Amino acid sequence: MIEITHLKKSFGKQEVLKDVSFKIQKGQVVTILGPSGSGKTTFLRCINFLERAEEGELRIGDTRINLRKASRKEILNVRRRTAFVFQNYGLFYHKTALQNVMEGLVVVQKIPKDEARKRAEAALEWVGLSNRKDFYPSQLSGGQQQRVGIARAVALNPEVILFDEPTSALDPEWVGETLDVIKKVAKKGITMIIVTHEMSFAEEVSDKVVFMDGGSVVEEGTPKEIFTNPKEERTKKFLARIIPQDMYYI
Amino acid sequence: MSFSSENFFDSLQGAIAYLPVTFKLTIYTFVISLFIGGTIAIIRNYKVPMISQFLAWFVTIYNGLPLMVALVIYNLLFMTNYDNVARFFHISKTISEINPVIVGYFSLILSSSCSYSETIRGALQSIEQVQYEAGYAIGLSKLQTLYRIILPQLVPVAIPGLINNLVGTIKGTNLVSAIGILEIMGGALTPCALSYSYLEGYLAAALVYWLFSFVLETLAKQIEVRSTKFRRQIV
Ligand SMILES: Nc1ncnc2c1ncn2[C@@H]1O[C@H](COP(=O)(O)OP(=O)(O)O)[C@@H](O)[C@H]1O
Ligand SMILES: [Mg+2]
Repeated sequence: MIEITHLKKSFGKQEVLKDVSFKIQKGQVVTILGPSGSGKTTFLRCINFLERAEEGELRIGDTRINLRKASRKEILNVRRRTAFVFQNYGLFYHKTALQNVMEGLVVVQKIPKDEARKRAEAALEWVGLSNRKDFYPSQLSGGQQQRVGIARAVALNPEVILFDEPTSALDPEWVGETLDVIKKVAKKGITMIIVTHEMSFAEEVSDKVVFMDGGSVVEEGTPKEIFTNPKEERTKKFLARIIPQDMYYI
Repeated sequence: MSFSSENFFDSLQGAIAYLPVTFKLTIYTFVISLFIGGTIAIIRNYKVPMISQFLAWFVTIYNGLPLMVALVIYNLLFMTNYDNVARFFHISKTISEINPVIVGYFSLILSSSCSYSETIRGALQSIEQVQYEAGYAIGLSKLQTLYRIILPQLVPVAIPGLINNLVGTIKGTNLVSAIGILEIMGGALTPCALSYSYLEGYLAAALVYWLFSFVLETLAKQIEVRSTKFRRQIV
């Protein structure tokens, strides 16, 4: 289980996260929705210390970590138990797809190279990229790059994968295949927190949906509750704006 | 003005005889300055408090100082203060026993370090933030991310600028002749002192400098090609 309590974060004078608490059970998929600028990315980045929070606590398994005061060792520990999928892929440009997946296995997890290669190859096959394993990121389409990013995250066998709008940098033609791969990850029973604007995907894949606005969690519930019967006015407005009317009744 | 090919070949021989001096000056300066300049660039890139502000200030000021001016100042300071310093460190050698080339190295390395640091810093700035973050996110430490992710990507970006810097350093080695160090130029001009005809000497020196730069540049470009294979676009 992963729990974040009383997370606060500001950039200068701007309060970006105002006392956010959040809980996800092992094997669950939680999607975070919300308008641009509501603090979704910052929230994910605070969890693995790409941003340093001003306040808050992280519980991951049996470990409790103060998000503000965490030591370098604690930060490394959290990062080694989590994985992050970036909006703009974040593949290492100087490494092939295979080397991208192997990097963490070899350097961080100290798995022998042969074994790591086998695992990385399996992960790439699993996302349908066996035939692209020796390609550099510059030789791959956006959708393929993001699938490598997902393979890299999954291969590390983390306790949770954080996805920050994994498809929003993609041309529309690549969105479908990438979402399919994420659904496959969900079926594997890996714990995931996904920030997305893909509503039907969120509805299909989530155990829980969280709606954020203005740096706070406005409402959370099952996909059914949020999509068909939202309680808060702000949630209703957001959904009305982002979902075509006919989708409400599906 | 007459041109004697015989004098020219004498000068060429003289220049080539001193090529190792220029070669050593260039290579040592290049390697040491690459290390110091790289360190300066990295410190400034990570915005290490205090030190990075000091270095920014120092590099800016120092880059405005012509190498020749620096060289004669250091040489003067060296000449006038050597005895005191030697006494302080209990060095028994007299100034005439010390090779003035150390002053040459000092000036060359200081100015090269500053200019290389700017090249490397520029290259560092071209690397996207997400490359660092992706390294941290898979659990690499800061140092591992620097060595395994950032520096390998930096090399191809920095090389064209560094080749320029290298040529600058080669030209800079020529200036150390001003404090009495014999290098290509001095070697080429030695025979001229007898013939009173300097054109051959200057041309011979120019030719050797040019060839030397050309060879080093060509070698460096090979490294560049090899280091950029990941930037090739096939698709
Ligand atoms: N590094 C930063 N420096 C200053 N402001 C930032 C930074 N990152 C994000 N912000 C601000 O924080 C707010 C929330 O941003 P973000 O978490 O990216 O929102 P979202 O992902 O929901 O669109 C925005 O107003 C944004 O401008
Ligand atoms: Mg965002």
